[in-house]
Amino acid sequence: MRLTVFNGSPRGKASNTAKLLEHFLAGFIEQAANEYETLYLIHEKDQARCVEAFKEAETVLLAFPLYTDCMPGVVKTFIEYLEPLCGRDGNPALGFLVHSGFPESVHSHFVRRYLEKLSRRLGCRCLGTVIKGGSEGIRAQPERMNRKLFRLFFELGRIFGKTGQFDKKIVGQFARPVRFSKLGLLGARLGGKMGDMLYWNRMLKKHGAYDKRFARPYEPDKQ
Amino acid sequence: MKKITILNGDPGNRAYELDSYLGEIENLLESRGHEITSFVLRRMDISYCTGCWGCWVKTPGECAVRDDSAQICRSLIGSDFLLFASPVIMGFTSAVLKRTCDRLIPVIHPYFEIVNGEVHHRARYEKYPALGLILERGADTDQEDIEIIRDIYSRMAVNLKSGLRMMRFTEDSAEEVADAIDSI
Repeated sequence: MRLTVFNGSPRGKASNTAKLLEHFLAGFIEQAANEYETLYLIHEKDQARCVEAFKEAETVLLAFPLYTDCMPGVVKTFIEYLEPLCGRDGNPALGFLVHSGFPESVHSHFVRRYLEKLSRRLGCRCLGTVIKGGSEGIRAQPERMNRKLFRLFFELGRIFGKTGQFDKKIVGQFARPVRFSKLGLLGARLGGKMGDMLYWNRMLKKHGAYDKRFARPYEPDKQ
Repeated sequence: MKKITILNGDPGNRAYELDSYLGEIENLLESRGHEITSFVLRRMDISYCTGCWGCWVKTPGECAVRDDSAQICRSLIGSDFLLFASPVIMGFTSAVLKRTCDRLIPVIHPYFEIVNGEVHHRARYEKYPALGLILERGADTDQEDIEIIRDIYSRMAVNLKSGLRMMRFTEDSAEEVADAIDSI
């Protein structure tokens, strides 16, 4: 199978998206005849090259982080360039990977509806959407913290390379929790506090900005 | 009197009617005493959000990239009503509007909180504007597209500590839209 990957992260090669794809693709090429090409939408000066790559592709994976509960701007730009391909014969099969820092998958459910509609609009066979939450920070964390996650992405890629399908069991596992239960929310509240302290406060302090963390530079009476 | 910010997401590469339609609405709203700040996004210098978190952890509340997006954040926080306007292109609002929405995150705070039983980010300011959306349908726009856009903008409204209070189409008369904005 020949897979064309569009990495839609604004962080490009240094993104969490790239990290997740790295493991997915390592699994994918386990199958000796498989090959892939990755295009980074943010690094691509010439959008026409991306459209051409999409046109020539057999199977496409479009991957991006959730931005304001939707696709990042650069991905929408790319999608607009695809407009002339709507309904064309021979469009590739199309699968999606959406990940976000939020622990629940519900945040990404709305853009999934958009993406699956997009497949129909283009006339692409839709391979589905892999949603993964809790993904912010993995690029900065030591590998061992994410060993299990990376193994699952490898496995997802391996099965995809063999069957051309996202494994339902792994996709289901990634999607949990969709929303927190009442009890889960207690944990999420605590987890949020820990995230504030261990993630945000640490970075704020590193940049000497902790004391200014509640700044309101655009407050009207300060103008 | 309301302070109103309008984000015009017409990309200008086709004969959309949005520019002139918004012009009519602006005139009506001004004649009714409202104060309008209107941004034609395609004429502004607004780059893609790079996901650097500078606006949350380096210069809290302000983007590290100094371009025209700062004017929009300032105007948003000073407004009672924020109107997004865009043609529907490939089933969603324009790329130039989405790119701009990505650059609004300086107005919220990184810390987490639970909203409607979900993890979200906290407010940075005490007050945020009510949100509205005006769409110009494309030849291929169907009801499903409209529902998807409505739902995603409703989610974006939760992120902006607000609500989507109005959704209209360019086939509605400018008076109707101005009345709707008046009544919010």
